[in-house]
Amino acid sequence: MTNPYEVLGVAPTASSADVQKAYRKLAKKLHPDLNPGDKAAEDKFKEVAGAYDLLGDAEKRKRFDDGEIDATGAERPQHHFYRDFATSDHAQPYTNNSGFADFKDADDALAELLRRSERARANRRGQDLHYRLPIDFVESITGANKRLTLPDGGSLDVTIPPGLVDGQILRLRGRGEPGAGTGGHGDALIEVEVLPDRRFTREGDDISMELAISLPEAVLGGRIRVPTPTGDVTMTVPKGSNTGTTMRLKGKGAPRREGGHGDQFVKLKVVLPKQPDPELEAFVSNWANGKTFNPREDSAP
Amino acid sequence: MIMNEEEFLAHAGLKTQTLKLWLEQHWLIPERTSAGTHFSDMDVARARLIGELQTNFGVNEEGVDIILHLLDQLHGLRRALDQLHKDL
Repeated sequence: MTNPYEVLGVAPTASSADVQKAYRKLAKKLHPDLNPGDKAAEDKFKEVAGAYDLLGDAEKRKRFDDGEIDATGAERPQHHFYRDFATSDHAQPYTNNSGFADFKDADDALAELLRRSERARANRRGQDLHYRLPIDFVESITGANKRLTLPDGGSLDVTIPPGLVDGQILRLRGRGEPGAGTGGHGDALIEVEVLPDRRFTREGDDISMELAISLPEAVLGGRIRVPTPTGDVTMTVPKGSNTGTTMRLKGKGAPRREGGHGDQFVKLKVVLPKQPDPELEAFVSNWANGKTFNPREDSAP
Repeated sequence: MIMNEEEFLAHAGLKTQTLKLWLEQHWLIPERTSAGTHFSDMDVARARLIGELQTNFGVNEEGVDIILHLLDQLHGLRRALDQLHKDL
């Protein structure tokens, strides 16, 4: 690493004002954004900036002078300069052609080429427009047709494909901003937000839900109605089901990309009657086996 | 990366007031959509350049305006030249 005083071209005795002056003078000429075509300028600028980072800061300068830190201690973090973006297609709102507007009217080969390249840009595609569309969980599974109202009063009809996931982006080709010349419209990009559902949660292609069952249903089993995003179905609860018992409804999950459906998992939860029931109390107090069973046996310390 | 105003301010190290001023001056032209204003990495880099011009190089507001205008022309020329280079 070069001596920062040499990089800035100042004497080790220079005042901080002189250091700043020297830096500004060099940096103005070397700043990569002011030298978009000069690759070497960036390295030189970094060296100068590094030197100034050290010497421009009174405390760091003192530590360097005392030999506590070396010149590399001032390495700057990597950063992207504006010039790295300015020649990309995204720079459209900023760049302008007035720098060669006068050349284009001439009647020679160069002017023709300039005109052609400008036409290529004049016929650019319109900008893509971004929207956000919230939909219900059920709609994300079954699919839906939604109408998106635009800020300008217009509307867009959006077809939600079945099985869509939160954050998925739908592209409506040609529904963006108009382009210039023959460039055509941009696209409308719609980010779909799936609103959470009270009953269902989704994991991959599978759907989970919790379902309350009564004590008789748990003990004796039975057929019960279970809601799914595509409508209610009947499910058989086996005898002796417990809280936490999970049943699988095959093919009642979200549609898979490669065909078929995921499954819906129904986790049972035994719920006692809301009102205390004397008959139940009488039964339980006389129920001998109920007293010998310790559900906490496994979790005992 | 696409940022909203808050994220952009954090990335570029700007205050709301400064951003408002720069937008009024058309120094920054973020993308405006139905969902609000979107800033890109390029806007962050441009904001950094403006910041450097002002704080490190002591350029005043009029100076920044002129520099950006010339710089935008320069990049317009560089694009045209690049296009020519491809056409030839």
